Amino acid sequence: MPKFVLDGKEIEFKPGQTIIQAAKDHGITIPHFCWHESLSVAGNCRVCLVEIEKMPKLAIACSTTAAEGMVVYTASEKALGARNAVMEFLLINHPLDCPICDEAGECKLQDYAYSHSAGESRFVEEKNHKDKRVPLGPYVMFDGDRCISCSRCIRFCDEIAKDNELTFVKRGDRVTITTFPGEELDNPYSLNVTDICPVGALTNRDFRFRARVWDMSANKTICTGCSRGCNIELWVRNNEILRITPRQNEEVNTFWMCDHGRINTFKFVNAEDRVDGPHIRKEGKLVKVEWNEALTQAASKLKKFAKNEIAFIGSAFATLEDNYLLVKFAHSLGVKNIDFIRHYIPSFADNILRREDMTPNSLGAEAVGVKPSQGGLNIDGIINGIKEKKIKAVYLIDDDIAAAFPELEEELAKLDLLIVNATNINKSASVADIVFPAATYAEKNGTFVNFQGRVQRLKPAVATVEDDRALDGLEMSRLDKFGTKFDRWAQGHKYDAKSSWKILSALSIEMGFKLKFNMAEDVFSEIAKNTKAFSGLDYDVIGELGAQSKLQPEEKIITT
Amino acid sequence: MAVKKREKDLTLLEKMYIPEIVKGLSLTMKNMFKPKFTMKYPEEKFIPPASYRGRPVLVMEENGEERCVACGLCSRVCPALAIEVQAAETEREKERYPVKFEINMLRCIFCGFCEEVCPEEAIVMSKDYELAFSHREDAIYGKDKLLTPVIQLKDRIEFLRSYK
Amino acid sequence: MNIWMILLFSLVKIFIIVNVMLITVSYLVYFERRVSAWAQNRLGPNRVGWEGVLQPFADVLKLLLKEDIVPDAANKPIHTLAPIIALFVAFTTYAVIPFGPSISIFGYTVPLVVADINIGILYVLALTSLGVYAITLAGWSSGSKYSLFGGIRSSAQMISYEISMGFSVGGVLLLAGSLRPEAIVEAQQGWMWNAILQPIGFITFLVSAFAETNRLPFDLPEAEPELVGGYHTEYSSMKFAGFFLAEYANMIVASAMIVTLYLGGWRFPYLENFGLSAGWFAIISVITFFVKVAALLFFFIWVRWSLPRFRYDQLMNLGWKVMFPLSLLNIIWVAALIMIFKI
Ligand code: SF4
Ligand code: SF4
Ligand code: SF4
Ligand code: SF4
Repeated sequence: MPKFVLDGKEIEFKPGQTIIQAAKDHGITIPHFCWHESLSVAGNCRVCLVEIEKMPKLAIACSTTAAEGMVVYTASEKALGARNAVMEFLLINHPLDCPICDEAGECKLQDYAYSHSAGESRFVEEKNHKDKRVPLGPYVMFDGDRCISCSRCIRFCDEIAKDNELTFVKRGDRVTITTFPGEELDNPYSLNVTDICPVGALTNRDFRFRARVWDMSANKTICTGCSRGCNIELWVRNNEILRITPRQNEEVNTFWMCDHGRINTFKFVNAEDRVDGPHIRKEGKLVKVEWNEALTQAASKLKKFAKNEIAFIGSAFATLEDNYLLVKFAHSLGVKNIDFIRHYIPSFADNILRREDMTPNSLGAEAVGVKPSQGGLNIDGIINGIKEKKIKAVYLIDDDIAAAFPELEEELAKLDLLIVNATNINKSASVADIVFPAATYAEKNGTFVNFQGRVQRLKPAVATVEDDRALDGLEMSRLDKFGTKFDRWAQGHKYDAKSSWKILSALSIEMGFKLKFNMAEDVFSEIAKNTKAFSGLDYDVIGELGAQSKLQPEEKIITT
Repeated sequence: MAVKKREKDLTLLEKMYIPEIVKGLSLTMKNMFKPKFTMKYPEEKFIPPASYRGRPVLVMEENGEERCVACGLCSRVCPALAIEVQAAETEREKERYPVKFEINMLRCIFCGFCEEVCPEEAIVMSKDYELAFSHREDAIYGKDKLLTPVIQLKDRIEFLRSYK
Repeated sequence: MNIWMILLFSLVKIFIIVNVMLITVSYLVYFERRVSAWAQNRLGPNRVGWEGVLQPFADVLKLLLKEDIVPDAANKPIHTLAPIIALFVAFTTYAVIPFGPSISIFGYTVPLVVADINIGILYVLALTSLGVYAITLAGWSSGSKYSLFGGIRSSAQMISYEISMGFSVGGVLLLAGSLRPEAIVEAQQGWMWNAILQPIGFITFLVSAFAETNRLPFDLPEAEPELVGGYHTEYSSMKFAGFFLAEYANMIVASAMIVTLYLGGWRFPYLENFGLSAGWFAIISVITFFVKVAALLFFFIWVRWSLPRFRYDQLMNLGWKVMFPLSLLNIIWVAALIMIFKI
């Protein structure tokens, strides 16, 4: 491979690579605003100026292709001087309203103003004013003053979302961003522009002003919006999820995620209707009870039914571990009627990230055996069975059968026994006899298998009653580290909820067959031992970016 | 061991200590008739100078609105984690304002960092030093107790400006 | 005068003296706190009652309400006995000090002294030496090293200074030719105060008195920085108050002794020449006595808030190498005076 010298260090590069890309591959970041790895090169911010030997002028690292034997200096006096000058220009019309700006704390302009500028402005004239608080679309707000005209947002819409919505208008220092006439920034990926905007010009209307970035902890986990399973970070403050941002995973979602995933998949975690502690129907009403009472009652009632009168319904929203325990539980009882509900919305799919399968783990649920055993009923059979009253007891985890089959709601209410593990009081839970509080995906350890057959890890971001942020390895923000029980800002509500596998494990002990595990990790090791598709995997191998299982991938990922 | 030499030996008179004792006694006697420093506190109140750092308060403009834009810098810099700010959007020109601004007076150590860091000159140290509570909850001051008309804080704001 | 009347008058005098002592002691504490405050430009206690005059009562009440803690390692009977001895000694010493001339009530002549005994000075010396026991026993019985050090220091100090004290008194006795306090007062007619006749003796006695009462600059037994309070480290509540009161009672006794021995006792110079009636004479004499004592007490306090504490070796040096020879010198001086002037 050819080589060039960067700041006195020899660096290999692939032919055709730009200097900035080659440097990044070797862990050296050259300051930049407009350049983005997966977008085309615009070269308009000029911050990445570097000095190259034998070149008369400074060159921008983002569009100069590296050549054999080149000698590049990123921090020579000349390069630094130029960078300072560029920063000074950028700051001339910048309002410097960081106190109000949501980007503060993760703003490139702020960072470079610290590292690459004189720290003082020589500009005493009135600054340029542009439109502020312009809603560009349903989710994105634009602040003209703060825009540094890097064009990242325009290129994102054109090249990634494939929807030309944004453009520059006007010239010179009046240049600003706007949507084309009659257009809105409403493509399904629009919020990604708030991530790539290097300043606070584009902000997330859903998150605006809710929290400072330094007050939240970022918890690495997986989106549950569809079977893509984009890698994400959950931003949590005071035990409440406030926003989701994507994290880079070249195999799954590269840098992006869709607006559905970002907006719709976390609010139920801290919603009013969360199930807090086990509930039992008494005199027609769901009443909160102790775990012991709920478990004994569930066990004694389940025991009254014959094997073929019971049905177990797993879930593609639940983890591998939850489904595995459900299967084991059903088999221990000799029950053969076991399946899960599919959620397909073909119109949701596109050929960027979104998939028609709206659940994060249907491949995994099937792989661990959530399917009827020989002679058992599948989901349609179970539904018929309920209607014909052949099925008298149903155990449902982490899903809402009454919502999926609205015609079934009345029949469900008439069932002899309906036990659900539910996160929120949904339609099924509100007609159930016993409701166990299930932990949401943001509250548990576990694994999902996405549509490619890739196993990815969930990590808890929100603590339940049984968790302690520090001891259970949840990410800690500054507030979490130093808060005491006397501080209101450390008093975020913790729900009394457990992962479905834990509930099933406890119930199995009540029933007399012991499916005992200590941690989700132990459940997964057993799955890996018993299931060929997952052999050789464990939580460490899966890591933060996931690992491919031996399940047949449906198709190759479409990368852009 | 090296013998330490005195600079000079004491004279007989000094050795008798008597003049020194008399000097000491007369000094204390003189002091007995000097005016006293002690202030009879609850009756006589101490009015601190502008440089005094009493409890931090929020500046309220003449129109009754707070200056604070809920940037959270005071909360970040506070070494005692006394300040909690929750921002929200408003229709005013400065888009952001604090819906909730609480200072836990049990945590506050009156360091004045919050005042120093505030980009809006919105939180300043007042002259109020009378802080006693009978309940933990009472020690958490919300916006109702923190907002103070700018006129009352003129002293301090001028002091701050003179040191900028 | 029959025996019953003597008994009655004695009891009345004892009653008056004890009460006066108790009240003076508590106000002395208050006074000390005020004076120290003034010396430091403060106000001192001024909250309880008008200008804090009820402060002593508040203090006593507070001490009464405190829990009485006795350490496990303490020897309990002796631990309890020590403060009693201290108080007892402090109060009984006063018995022989005359605070006025004889007066006649209902035809009886009553001397203004509880016990007019002819070995009064010996009695005082004997009792004050007994006071060492209180401190030594307290230090020893507490079962704490700090208390023990305090106790030992105290006894060593008291014994050392008792010698120079005794020799200084020698000069006074030579002049008066009697051990009776009354006679000593009588001997100091007009300005013939012993303080003027034998200044060296006066100074050595004064210094020794400071040392005997454990007052600064000689309060080594209770040196807070090194001994955490010394012999009364392990005392609390009323037992502590016992020591506390004894210290102040000792101050009063010491002042009264100095007044009697060196400052003419209750005598107002040349008062007898003014031709006053016996009643007025007695009243003015008693007032004179108390004013003299009060001035000395103020001096005690004033010194405490002006001078730093001695080091222990300095204390011993001073006691044996300076005070002791000086008091001997004083005796020679007095003897010479007697020889020359044939007094
Ligand atoms: S809005 Fe942001 S991303 Fe778009 S051009 Fe301006 S600074 Fe760049
Ligand atoms: S594409 Fe799917 S997995 Fe990715 S963010 Fe959207 S809903 Fe979530
Ligand atoms: S630093 Fe000032 S403007 Fe910012 S939140 Fe605190 S008081 Fe408000
Ligand atoms: S004065 Fe200091 S401790 Fe008090 S609120 Fe301000 S920064 Fe926090």
